[in-house]
Amino acid sequence: MSAQSYPGRRRTTWVIFIALCVFTFINLTPLIWAVLTSLKDPRDAFTIPPTIIFEPTLKYHIEVWTENDFVFYLMNSLIISAGTVFISVPAGSLAAYALSRIPRRSAGPILSALFTIRMFPHMLLAIPFFVMGTFLNMIDTYPLLILALVAINQPFTIWLMHGFFLEIPRDLDEAAAIDGCSNWQAFRIVILPLARPGMTVAALFSLLLSYNEFLFALILTGTDTKTLPVAIASFGGEDISSWSLSAAGAIGIMLPIVLVMLLLQRHLVRGLTAGAVKG
Amino acid sequence: MVRWQRGLWLFFLPSFGLLALVLLWPLSYAVYLSFFDYYLGSGERTFIGLGNYVDLLTEARLWNSMRTTIIIAFGSVAVEFLVGFALALALYRLHGSAKVFSVLLFLPHIVTPVVAALFLKWMLASNWGFVDATLLTFNIEPPDWLGDPVWAKVSVILADAWVFTPLVMMVLYAALQGLDTSLLEAAQIDGASSWNTLRHVIVPALIPAIIFVISIRLMDVFRFFDLIYVLTGGGPGTATETITIYTYQLGFRMLEVGKASALGVITLIVVAMLLLTINRGLNKAYRGGDR
Amino acid sequence: MTNRLSVTRKVKGATAALLLSSIASSAVAQDAIRVISHRQPALEYYTQQMIDALPEGRVSVELMPIDKQLELASITMSAESDAIDVLYLNDSSFRRFASNGWLEPIDDLWEKYQDEYDLDDFPQSVIDAVSFDGKIYAMPILTNTELFFYRKDLLEDAGVAPPQTMEEYMALAAQLDSARMAGTIMSLKPVDAALNEAHWYINAIGDGWFDANWKPIFNNAAGVEAITKLKEMSEYAPRGFTAHANDESTINLQQGLAAMGLQWFTRAAAMDNPEQSRVVGQIDWVAPPGGGARVANDGFAISAFSSADREEMFKMMAEAASKESMQEGAKYAMPPRLSVLENADLAQQYRWYPAARAALESGKAFPAMPDFNDVGEIVTRHILRAVTGEAEVQEALDQAAAETEELLASRGYYN
Repeated sequence: MSAQSYPGRRRTTWVIFIALCVFTFINLTPLIWAVLTSLKDPRDAFTIPPTIIFEPTLKYHIEVWTENDFVFYLMNSLIISAGTVFISVPAGSLAAYALSRIPRRSAGPILSALFTIRMFPHMLLAIPFFVMGTFLNMIDTYPLLILALVAINQPFTIWLMHGFFLEIPRDLDEAAAIDGCSNWQAFRIVILPLARPGMTVAALFSLLLSYNEFLFALILTGTDTKTLPVAIASFGGEDISSWSLSAAGAIGIMLPIVLVMLLLQRHLVRGLTAGAVKG
Repeated sequence: MVRWQRGLWLFFLPSFGLLALVLLWPLSYAVYLSFFDYYLGSGERTFIGLGNYVDLLTEARLWNSMRTTIIIAFGSVAVEFLVGFALALALYRLHGSAKVFSVLLFLPHIVTPVVAALFLKWMLASNWGFVDATLLTFNIEPPDWLGDPVWAKVSVILADAWVFTPLVMMVLYAALQGLDTSLLEAAQIDGASSWNTLRHVIVPALIPAIIFVISIRLMDVFRFFDLIYVLTGGGPGTATETITIYTYQLGFRMLEVGKASALGVITLIVVAMLLLTINRGLNKAYRGGDR
Repeated sequence: MTNRLSVTRKVKGATAALLLSSIASSAVAQDAIRVISHRQPALEYYTQQMIDALPEGRVSVELMPIDKQLELASITMSAESDAIDVLYLNDSSFRRFASNGWLEPIDDLWEKYQDEYDLDDFPQSVIDAVSFDGKIYAMPILTNTELFFYRKDLLEDAGVAPPQTMEEYMALAAQLDSARMAGTIMSLKPVDAALNEAHWYINAIGDGWFDANWKPIFNNAAGVEAITKLKEMSEYAPRGFTAHANDESTINLQQGLAAMGLQWFTRAAAMDNPEQSRVVGQIDWVAPPGGGARVANDGFAISAFSSADREEMFKMMAEAASKESMQEGAKYAMPPRLSVLENADLAQQYRWYPAARAALESGKAFPAMPDFNDVGEIVTRHILRAVTGEAEVQEALDQAAAETEELLASRGYYN
């Protein structure tokens, strides 16, 4: 459509291609460097000139996963992320659908209110959350952190999904209503299948937020529910011999989410194209 | 209103019920605390009305951190938007290989922020950080990335851009995919230059996406914390002390929770006003995309 | 469609099951003693001793950076939650926690187990450091002091002795400073690192932080001179020193990028570790020139809100602080027990002990007030403004003093 259809523009395309290659490489240096650091002894990690050629060792990767309970923390992270996604996206989609079907003058203020919640500095919610958790005797349990993450994630999910549902013509649900469908049936049978790309996007962003969240995870979890980001931060302490470990842990923490990204990448672009950004 | 819409409020129930239970309470509690002199250590709180607000608004530190925040926020959103848009256009032109690039370019965004900050510190640390070590090898004297008041701001802006440009890129790339190609072709046939096509065809069509992504970024950049905290800790001096860093110092270091909450409310009001103005401005400039 | 629905249902079922099982499992595991601590080699060692002191599974330890640990502890304890049982505290945070009523006094247990664990072995100064308002609140675990690290090969080449005064130190830093090597390390990252560095200058050149009535005196003529000297010294510091904390300074020494400077005792062993260091055997130590560098006594305390058995916790801490345990722990940190510290073998085993003993004599602890961390937050901010040229030294210190006085007044110091 765009490039190939205009002959003589091949060269520009090549220039763009090469420029992108260079940019991507520079952009990824921090990651590449971290991978190299994770394969080095600390002595070689910080030198002038930078040590590029060295004998790689996997011992820090092995140590992180075998001696530091990282598998356990990964499980915690996965449970908490899955919990958050599976509560946040359905709940948010329902609300967003309703929001897209009520008159705009009522929907507007609700959306603004949701924004407001999002803008409040999250760190100030940490103390109230903790007080609440203590009161309910739920500190160091999965549901507490999941609920907290769902709550701070709701405004964004609703906002995102609202955009999708606006793109789906109202005539469709009205036709369903005329056919005798209830609200719920109309939503489930007619609307939901159309909103799937959007839900994938919402799920991906919920996943990113819940998998990567640090402050609430630090404060609301404990021995039993500690997540990967908290575990990895515990190495950032005094001793530089743990920096190779940090790097190894950091790479490890990225892998699952990179995998998910690779699987969902296509859906991400398609989903975003389908309407989220038109709200 | 059609009859079937009546039961619609039930759809709000799970989400808003949850928000009311889990979020509204902590939020109101935080706002409530902002009217108290509350030092977490003593456990006592005294109602002082707007005392915290008056205190904050009359001290130089707040205005200083506000200025720093605005510089850093606008700096990073500008970089993110320009670079992100350029990347999105480049990807749009590329077709086939775009997928590989978009995956690779998106990577920095999915790195856990705490970890991203660590990675960037290993790049920017003076002398033995990767950037310095490389430059020093070639006998180039690099600037003091994190230690010089001006460079520290630049570094922090670039750090934020490293993490969030991919998001901007992805949203705009997706929006470009949804572009009506007949418009582009019409422009080409009319012999419009690339720049004119961009300005008069592409950008107007992208306005909703641009508003979306700029709003999202502005909202979040004001809460921007992990990266600054790890890279500079707000320093040198107060060169990179943003409102969030200040909030953290007040709430978590000095345990002055009442004052910190008041600062949170002030932040919220400032950001809300800012967003409103910007959205209005953008909408007006292009006679409002599709709404 | 039905297919898809049943998948969703299965997923939902699985999530619910996971959630339920997680509640159940956490309820069972709750009775272990939860210890949280800052992560550094000495504390890794001593927390391991705690784990070993009780039957397996009784103790769970979480190590994290000090700032995160204090955040977590402050929030937990202000909510009077029993989520934390035992925690590591350094001297300044110890006083704050004790004065907030967040710690459990242990005098009765101290008396009861005095003989069994030979607790009289701790010198009075150490016991004072873990006491507040006449009550003992913590088990002393390590004494930490700042040492003056220097490259003996470079000093020998230059034909000079290690500096004994600040003037000598500065002259030497100027002499050794070159394009490739900084004259001295300086750790001025806010808050903790910068506060330690400033503490040294304020004591060695200035008159200290406060007068007897907690009125700030760090902005008097001597104090201004101290910070002016600190600013001048930063000419010879590695680039980026305003963002440097202990880690960065340690690396600069280890990589041969700086010739000397102030650093903690606990970093000394790392200089001789060939896995990390390029200057093995080339670093030597003396007490910091001019004296007055920081000395700190750190320990473990029991939370006032813990629901675990306090006697069991006390024994766990006492085991970790036993003579045998400290004998081995001496590698990582200075043991507070006299019998261990005065053991002549230590100096042979660990080259830095003679310097450490001297530093202990000439050093100074932080002012004994619960709010010194907060004071430090104010002071370091203004000192850094002075160092980076954002403000004049006098002006910055005056402002710091005014803010400090306001803070202390609000905390009831001058009533």
